[in-house]
Amino acid sequence: MSPFDAYLHTILMEGGIEARRHGSATVEAQHLLLAIAAEEGTIPQRVLASAGLDHQAISAALDREFDHSLSTVGVSRASFDLPRPSGTPKRPPALGATAKLAVERGFASVSRKKDLRPANLLLGILRAEVGTVPRALALAGVDRTDLLTRVQNAIANDTIERNDATE
Amino acid sequence: MPASDIPVPQAADDALAAVVALRRLADQLEDAAVEQAMRAGWSWPQVAEALGVTRQAVHRKHAKRLIDAGVNLRRRSP
Repeated sequence: MSPFDAYLHTILMEGGIEARRHGSATVEAQHLLLAIAAEEGTIPQRVLASAGLDHQAISAALDREFDHSLSTVGVSRASFDLPRPSGTPKRPPALGATAKLAVERGFASVSRKKDLRPANLLLGILRAEVGTVPRALALAGVDRTDLLTRVQNAIANDTIERNDATE
Repeated sequence: MPASDIPVPQAADDALAAVVALRRLADQLEDAAVEQAMRAGWSWPQVAEALGVTRQAVHRKHAKRLIDAGVNLRRRSP
């Protein structure tokens, strides 16, 4: 298994745990983003942190997006006083449409599969121009274009280091 | 509230995001409401009928989670 495959596997597994924690039947792009931010010591995690996006900040941004989107139709989570459901399904949630797109975009960002770096997955998530993730980032005041540049630079540096190491 | 009182988002992205958020809220509400009903002694057919879905659908979606959570489920309807 290549380092990228191992990383992808970890993020998909951890993304599944995030999805279950959020009561989602499917793993979506935002769950992968949360998993990436939680994977300490990895390049994508460091890139996110350099833009002020740790796991907690992303989680807060997603909550804010949820509340904001509900408010546009006059709905507030605060008006529901039902207890939190207990227990989560043991079955791992399936990959949802937004997560599939993010993975596809990550793979499409290189011409050869062996050029894939962990940050390519983050690139795939951040390339989405519409949907929950870009909305949450915009509401949190994150400049997505600047973040994409940081990710691309990190991929370039990672590739140079990898090539130096193999020479 | 009357339909005219429901705010309609002006921007398409807000309107689409509201759909996503409402579906998510409905899923969360369903998890909590089904658990509440089952803890109160409702049967699967009653919960299914109240939700307007088949009993197979509601069982498939919630049974394992509620059993794992230790909810005492009724086997038969009265």
